Amino acid sequence: MTIRNKNRQPVVAGVHGLPYSKDIGMTERHSGALAILGALDDAGLTVNDVEGLTRYVWQPTTEMEMARVTGIPNLKWFGAQDYGGGAGPPTVALACAAIELGLIDVAVVWRSRNRSSGGRPWAGQMLAEGQDQFERPFGIVRPADGIALIVRLWMKQFGWTREDFGQVAITVRGHANRNPMAMMRAKTLDMEQYLASRMIAEPLCLFDNCLETDGALAIVLVAAERARDLNAKHPPAYVTGYALGSGPEVYAMTNYYGERLGDSPNAYVAPELWKNTGLKPEDIDVVQIYDAFTPQVPLFFQEFGFCGEGEGAQYLKSDECIPYNTSGGGLSEAYVHGFNLIVEGARQVRGDSPSQVEDVKHTVVTGGNVVPTGALVLSKEPW
Amino acid sequence: MNAATPLPPKPVADRDTQPFWDAVAERRLVVQRCSKCGRWIWQPRPLCPTCHAADPVWTDVSGDARVVSWTVLHPPVLTVWHDKLPFVILLVELDDAPGVRMIGQLVDAAGDLLQTDGTAQGIDFGAGVSLRWRVDEAGQTLPAWTVS
Ligand SMILES: [Zn+2]
Repeated sequence: MTIRNKNRQPVVAGVHGLPYSKDIGMTERHSGALAILGALDDAGLTVNDVEGLTRYVWQPTTEMEMARVTGIPNLKWFGAQDYGGGAGPPTVALACAAIELGLIDVAVVWRSRNRSSGGRPWAGQMLAEGQDQFERPFGIVRPADGIALIVRLWMKQFGWTREDFGQVAITVRGHANRNPMAMMRAKTLDMEQYLASRMIAEPLCLFDNCLETDGALAIVLVAAERARDLNAKHPPAYVTGYALGSGPEVYAMTNYYGERLGDSPNAYVAPELWKNTGLKPEDIDVVQIYDAFTPQVPLFFQEFGFCGEGEGAQYLKSDECIPYNTSGGGLSEAYVHGFNLIVEGARQVRGDSPSQVEDVKHTVVTGGNVVPTGALVLSKEPW
Repeated sequence: MNAATPLPPKPVADRDTQPFWDAVAERRLVVQRCSKCGRWIWQPRPLCPTCHAADPVWTDVSGDARVVSWTVLHPPVLTVWHDKLPFVILLVELDDAPGVRMIGQLVDAAGDLLQTDGTAQGIDFGAGVSLRWRVDEAGQTLPAWTVS
């Protein structure tokens, strides 16, 4: 049972993102600092108000380095969450928990990543330790290689087809075409192009894979009692709740050694999220699903109970399907380890999305799946 | 080999995994099994996660296996594999050690990496495969599988 104190509810009071590019022309410490300063400005706060900083473990800039760069005078709360793109909502949750406990009033969470100009991390890791020693020397090197083996199992188990994945790629590309910030704003995609594209790790083709982007984004979280007095530029997005999950015998990206083959960590996040928020799928108006790979989208809808098990692809084609990844997501807006999905979730609630859904009350944002991960709900109204 | 020669990722053993790689060097495939509860354990661990008995026993297996899943790799990949594409990576479940699934490359009957025409060479769910030993580009011996 979660404890709720209305004064301590975390609120997303400000967001900011730098323009995405293939080469942002600055370090991740630099772009991250600019994202943080922009988000503070959006919230009507300054670095002197910041008491907490949390980051992804994969963020090369530590909280202390970022505090030095931006001039934050003292950190009362800090920490990092692991597992690549799974870290998004868990990193937000780490800050939210401290706010709810009353340890701090203001926290900033950011992700800056030169995933395009900085090269591919998988190409430089030549020593295979831990779980990697049984995978990388055998050719499972790229994230796509790891998930491809699981995707083939899902296709068999649920009857999914490449056309189902193509529909996801095309839908989010349409959102990107309406988003002036999106990397793919000017490039359209149809099924013929999708099916003709080259394979990367069969059954995944080029358009099943996310982009490679330089980007930097940040959000400011504030306790509700403090947020009331802010001179913020946008309405608040309330954090109604969050959940983390691993499932048994979990391996990051290569989750195929456990008893329940094909299970993903989000299957364990979902029931906790509904329990922690007191909400159900019917309450959700729009979702931001971590989409490093297209099959993660139909999987989300069935794991979170928007449809029955194995019905994810049919759900996507049905009239009941709610809008997803409205900024273009990782597939077509930018790939910044899912942080753009968090920012877009806040925008949908505030009302300033490029593909704004009408009258949004609640939105779900998820972290990378087939790694330990989490999800959160952002809402228009407080608890 | 000079420094510029592209190499594959090198397995780095630790105390818990060294016996696996020592056996591989002798072209034996071994998997841990709990001496107390009989559970097969993969990937290697210092304790049985079910009953916490220490020192799971490294047990020889035949390597006969069934295909659970597979992928065919296409560019971009590590430089060392550029001229070997497309090739197939298998997830196999061992006949002698139920529930143990390993990753390995699809090789020919001699144990050489099978460069394919882009197809999976008739590999399908449940296909029977047999253990072979592949010596990779760095001289590292690796378990691999060929169609039975
Ligand atoms: Zn045991």
